[in-house]
Amino acid sequence: MRDLFKAELLRFRGWALGAFAVHLLVLLFFTRLVDLAQQPVFVYRVAGGVDALVGVLLGLYQVGSYRRPNVWLNLLHRPLAPGRIATALLGAGMVWLAVAVALPVLLAAAYQAGLTARVVDLRHWLLPLAAWSLAACGYLAGAGCMLGRPRSAIAALVLLLVPAASQASGAWALLMQASALAWLAAMVTVSFKPDLSAPPRSVPATVLLALPLQVAVYVAIIVVVQVGAQVIWMVQGTHPNNTETPPKGGQNETERMTPEQRMLTGLAVSTAPEAPLWREQVALSDVVAIAPDLDVVPARGALTNAAPVDFDDPARGVRWTFSHDRMRLSGYRIAGGRTVGTLGVGGTNAAFPAPTVATRGLPGQPKEDRSLLAGNMLYHYVSETGQVFPRIRLPHGEWLLGTAPVGENLAALSNHALYFFDGRDVVASENLLRPRQRMPIPGGPGGLHNLELIELVDGYLVSNAYTSYDYTMAGAAPYQTVTWVHDDGRVTLAARRPITFDYPAWFRYQSWWPSPVLYGLRQGVSSLFAAPDPMQVANPKPRPRSVLWLAATLMLASLLAALWLIRRRALSLPGQVAWVVACGAIGLPALASLWLLYSACERAPRTRLEPAAA
Amino acid sequence: MNNHVIETRALTKRYGAKLALDALDLSIAAGHIHAIVGANGAGKSTLFRILLGFLPPSSGSARILGRDSQQLTPEDRGRIGFVNEEHTLPNWMRVSAVADMQRHQYPRWNQRAYDEVIGHYHVLPEQKIGQLSRGERAGFNLALTLAQGPELLVLDEPTLGLDVVAKRAFLESLMYSSATESCTVIYCSHQMEEIERVAENLIILERGRLAHMSAPEEFCARVTHWVADIPFAGPPPAGVPGLLQVQRIDGLHHYLVLDQDEDFAQFLRGAGARTVQCMPVSLDRAVNGFLAKNHAMPAAA
Repeated sequence: MRDLFKAELLRFRGWALGAFAVHLLVLLFFTRLVDLAQQPVFVYRVAGGVDALVGVLLGLYQVGSYRRPNVWLNLLHRPLAPGRIATALLGAGMVWLAVAVALPVLLAAAYQAGLTARVVDLRHWLLPLAAWSLAACGYLAGAGCMLGRPRSAIAALVLLLVPAASQASGAWALLMQASALAWLAAMVTVSFKPDLSAPPRSVPATVLLALPLQVAVYVAIIVVVQVGAQVIWMVQGTHPNNTETPPKGGQNETERMTPEQRMLTGLAVSTAPEAPLWREQVALSDVVAIAPDLDVVPARGALTNAAPVDFDDPARGVRWTFSHDRMRLSGYRIAGGRTVGTLGVGGTNAAFPAPTVATRGLPGQPKEDRSLLAGNMLYHYVSETGQVFPRIRLPHGEWLLGTAPVGENLAALSNHALYFFDGRDVVASENLLRPRQRMPIPGGPGGLHNLELIELVDGYLVSNAYTSYDYTMAGAAPYQTVTWVHDDGRVTLAARRPITFDYPAWFRYQSWWPSPVLYGLRQGVSSLFAAPDPMQVANPKPRPRSVLWLAATLMLASLLAALWLIRRRALSLPGQVAWVVACGAIGLPALASLWLLYSACERAPRTRLEPAAA
Repeated sequence: MNNHVIETRALTKRYGAKLALDALDLSIAAGHIHAIVGANGAGKSTLFRILLGFLPPSSGSARILGRDSQQLTPEDRGRIGFVNEEHTLPNWMRVSAVADMQRHQYPRWNQRAYDEVIGHYHVLPEQKIGQLSRGERAGFNLALTLAQGPELLVLDEPTLGLDVVAKRAFLESLMYSSATESCTVIYCSHQMEEIERVAENLIILERGRLAHMSAPEEFCARVTHWVADIPFAGPPPAGVPGLLQVQRIDGLHHYLVLDQDEDFAQFLRGAGARTVQCMPVSLDRAVNGFLAKNHAMPAAA
């Protein structure tokens, strides 16, 4: 085994060292231009995608070069178990991926840590491992594509969706990658056998190969439904997003309105006696739109940056970067890069309770000042003194998502409520602000698409439109509310307008009805080891009866088709029973996997070929 | 004790509607050099792939060295040497590294056998495999396989694509190697002169079935070549007993027939032959005639 391993190392030596050199040069080049450790998540996704792609290509090439029958025979016909041969071959590939993918990242991190004042936290030291893990997943997926019958082996690629879809962060994200890697390694091991076309024989091997195949079919169904339906609608000119006049009373119509139009439409169904007056005031007032400053809340130790972690103070010539290890800001001179130390909260330099995100300063403060969102807190960074003071503290468990000036006052949006603060208090001192009004938001923040308000003489009129997930099953049934927030803190619902769906139910539930079981698996895997994200909460609507019937019909049809199909497949009786049950429970993806994994029984042709007698 | 290295019982392999092996019953005794011949598509390569566990049979059984071919262990594989026409070797490795690797993998490595065979070729240890000529690769591959100390050596058209000199060198390496004395050799080739030189037992496969098995000279004795001077049209082919092939050259009728004695001369004379002459045939001619008899051809031919 060691000799085979060394042989494969030798085979890819030149390519791997070349890739290492190119990768290192690229990273060092960009390190001179930007702080690679603090890039937005998109950059990490692209890098991770490239790593996985490199792995896929290596796996396809390496194992593909052995796939030809005579070469495969020559490789496996030796006094070594196939598993040991696979370990030797793939172990060599893994080593070279570590050299070409992970080592340059490690060296770049070491450069930043050792020779610059930039922040390099523990989470950054984990990036080489994450890069290698993604490349290794791609590598084994590529290798898996070459082992077995092409029509089913390509399903190995679907396991690359696990790290892509997982919402886990930090070390938990690495654990998810390791889980995908372990599954792929097991898949490759059971597929690495003399007869590549043979179906799996044991129950564990069947599960290892069948489940990814079923998920691949499930994903393919969703893609076909989603793309196919939309293309057809576009061709017909009936796509809700593309029609000149959107469907009346629907999500598109609401989203295309101006803030004033939206408030007026909401008020149109109000029965409040003040409604006519409010409509006049909307027409005359400045409508303020408030949107969250965060798409996702940052998690401590996350490998990537969900939101910007640094900001510049041009007046002091300092760039502040949030350090997850110290839970404080770490600064260095923009010119020269010399370190200026760390910055915490108040005079004691205390740690922040959560990773901070810098946003615009509070109203009435100098333009160099910044607001720092951190969990349920808002801090004021004072450029002149170089200090940070807590200004807003929301109840424990709430996440402060953003602020906006409303006239001379301040509004702050959390995942549970909208708060109003007196603008005079903001500039009067650096003390904690006390909210004058609190308006609970009626739905989950994930579904909130538009929040607008106007100032009234006796409070605020607030419009909430929940249309974000109208086209999927994840969100609430779309609606709009208009709420009157009184000066004295009372909250009165002025109007509630239901909004119709622009898309039919079968389209909105496209990820559920093909296989409710696999949908559940998908949801479970994507949220496994992940902290709940308050921005994703959307209070999903109950499933319509028509969709339930559609799913049940497909499951029954799959079961009946499986009963027909298993008679044409060489399976034991327990195997037949298990497959029929699986097709009934999982639906079409299981039926397709049964068809793809097992060849039809070889039957004698009706007219026998009779060789002539010698 | 069963001393067959290969045993198949009703072994059948179907590719869709096509039968590659048709209820093949074949028993090959241990020892000796056995040649397997057959036209393209006769099922030779399919047979080897089933025997080595790389293809499942549609039905029937196949045993190799006493083991079900679908249940071969790594130890069993160490007892079976296999050389195919591609001589697949890692191009990026040096000769010495490949030999070292094989030496470590095969517990019964026979360095003397390796040196014996590789001595027939001008192959340097520091050469990369990719730099070897096709003949050198074949010789190196044979050296590696014989040095494994196999109990059964399967050679599947090993000289395909080699020039005359390389073919001769390969055959001599094989024939004069001491390693072949202790193992059974299955030699599959279309080159009858090679079969004639090396084989002690001739196995003919035709359309997936065993058509013949005997010593090569016994098979040659069964096939005779008759030249008859028949002034007009000869007897209709369907009426010629044991006919394998008929040709008319320079006004003479040439008949290649199977299992015919002096009575065939009487038959030809009865058909109007003025002179009849019987000649022995080479193995090449005999096998070709035998295989050509049932060769598919267009209906109009």
